[in-house]
Amino acid sequence: MTFKKKMKLAALSSAAVMMTACSLPGLGAGLTEEGNITIATQSSTEMVILGYIVQGMVNHYSDINADVIQNLGSSTMVTQALAQGDADVAAASYTGTALTGELGMDPITDPDEAREAVTEGFREQYNMRYFPSYGFENTYAFLVTSELAEEHGLETISDLEPIAGDLTAGVDNSWMEREGDGYRAFLETYEFDFDTVYPMEIGLVYDAVQSGNMDIVLGYSTDGRIASYDLVFLEDDLNFFPPYDASPSALYDTLEEYPLIEDILLKLEGMIETEQMQEMNFIADEYLIEPATVAVEFLEANNYFEDSEPYLEPAGGE
Amino acid sequence: MLNIEGLDELSQMNNVQQLIYYVQQNGPYLWDQFVRHFLISIYGVLFAALVAIPLGFYIARHSKLADWVVGAANVIQTIPSLAMLSILMLGFGIGVNTVIITVFLYSLLPIVKNTYAGVKSVDNALIDAAKGMGMTRWQQTYKVELPMALSVIMAGLRNALVVAIGVTAIGTFVGAGGLGDIIQRGVNASQGGAIILAGAIPTALMAVAADLVLAWLERKLNPASRISR
Repeated sequence: MTFKKKMKLAALSSAAVMMTACSLPGLGAGLTEEGNITIATQSSTEMVILGYIVQGMVNHYSDINADVIQNLGSSTMVTQALAQGDADVAAASYTGTALTGELGMDPITDPDEAREAVTEGFREQYNMRYFPSYGFENTYAFLVTSELAEEHGLETISDLEPIAGDLTAGVDNSWMEREGDGYRAFLETYEFDFDTVYPMEIGLVYDAVQSGNMDIVLGYSTDGRIASYDLVFLEDDLNFFPPYDASPSALYDTLEEYPLIEDILLKLEGMIETEQMQEMNFIADEYLIEPATVAVEFLEANNYFEDSEPYLEPAGGE
Repeated sequence: MLNIEGLDELSQMNNVQQLIYYVQQNGPYLWDQFVRHFLISIYGVLFAALVAIPLGFYIARHSKLADWVVGAANVIQTIPSLAMLSILMLGFGIGVNTVIITVFLYSLLPIVKNTYAGVKSVDNALIDAAKGMGMTRWQQTYKVELPMALSVIMAGLRNALVVAIGVTAIGTFVGAGGLGDIIQRGVNASQGGAIILAGAIPTALMAVAADLVLAWLERKLNPASRISR
């Protein structure tokens, strides 16, 4: 290889590197002096909404420019994106998923212990801070119609025991085979069984119980249809399901560079209740409103949580 | 909590009515993603053209290289787009640049191949005449070969752009945005049929429109049609 060719090669490869470092007109965010952060989310409606809530908060309280990268395939991919420096903030992780997924640990059913393990694991393995929960949990939930709940005075899963033998149950396909918090483990913990258990597509269980085809179903606790179909969520009184409370997380390096981001994420602690998340999911999924719009409406309806701690001054010049 | 109008009528609507409703509600967002999608595709093809057209001319002069270059571009083309995106993601991380590089790689083959074929098909008598007039090598390329081959090169660009628009739609999986984001969201939503259409129809229209515009340009640039006018 002659010197000239080597030079050409060097020029080409440096051009390639530069191309990945800066953004092309029309595609990147306008770089602002105050700085830029990227928020990564998975593809579920709920996570995308949370991503835009974080973005809305950052826009409201700072002049930092925040981009949302959505539709990443898995929670591992989001964490990897942060670890590689492609993103700064993960809009939402579920404690139970993070524990068994990214950290590869055994499930822990005690909520505090699980949270502690994830907080520590994220710090040590990924240099990420795992923030306090948004306040809602997206876990498996046993659901019955309000009529059935009233008739038998059902509040917890244990209350089902005397009548379970007469009930047909529809459950998530994958739950039947799951280890740790699946059907077999459920039988051991609660020591009762239903008359018949039908594995179903998770999206169909809500309609199945509302229409009366099933007496009880196992669904996801933040699905919007729970509220709109007036279903009752039975409390997991024996703490059988691991905690799936949702939390944001962020790189320690980013928090050091932008201390404001830390306060903004702390401000969201406990601010989103399960019913509110259900409603937002419902509006986005059933009424075709973009998650970004839903997020902004939610923040405006709550005045961007200006009254909650830590107190922050809204950024002026917008 | 949230105050958005027209919630009740929506469940009575069919897919087409829902599609219209969705577009009305989210028009600006849809347009942003449309533009973004188009730009990603265009940038990829443009960078590929900058590399592939000179390369096509070069291998037309050095026929021994032609098989190797076209062969290499062929190999790149056979890699499925999702696999290519995933491989590049390992090196370039997530984000829009990974998709532009993917589009770039897929665009190389059609442009190189067509440039090569276009230059090769220029009548030797024309080149001889140019030489006879005392044209330099550069002038032969610029004033004779390029104009004669332009319509064939344009056919290559057209091919590349249509493929690029399809590849960009998959770019949503590495966080690039574009209309793929809307399609993906429709797949995730429980009543997402209309959202899928709102993403897929513009993608298809963009590909068809790009094809028509470049086909028109190709005809305009064809030396035969220029003479007949």
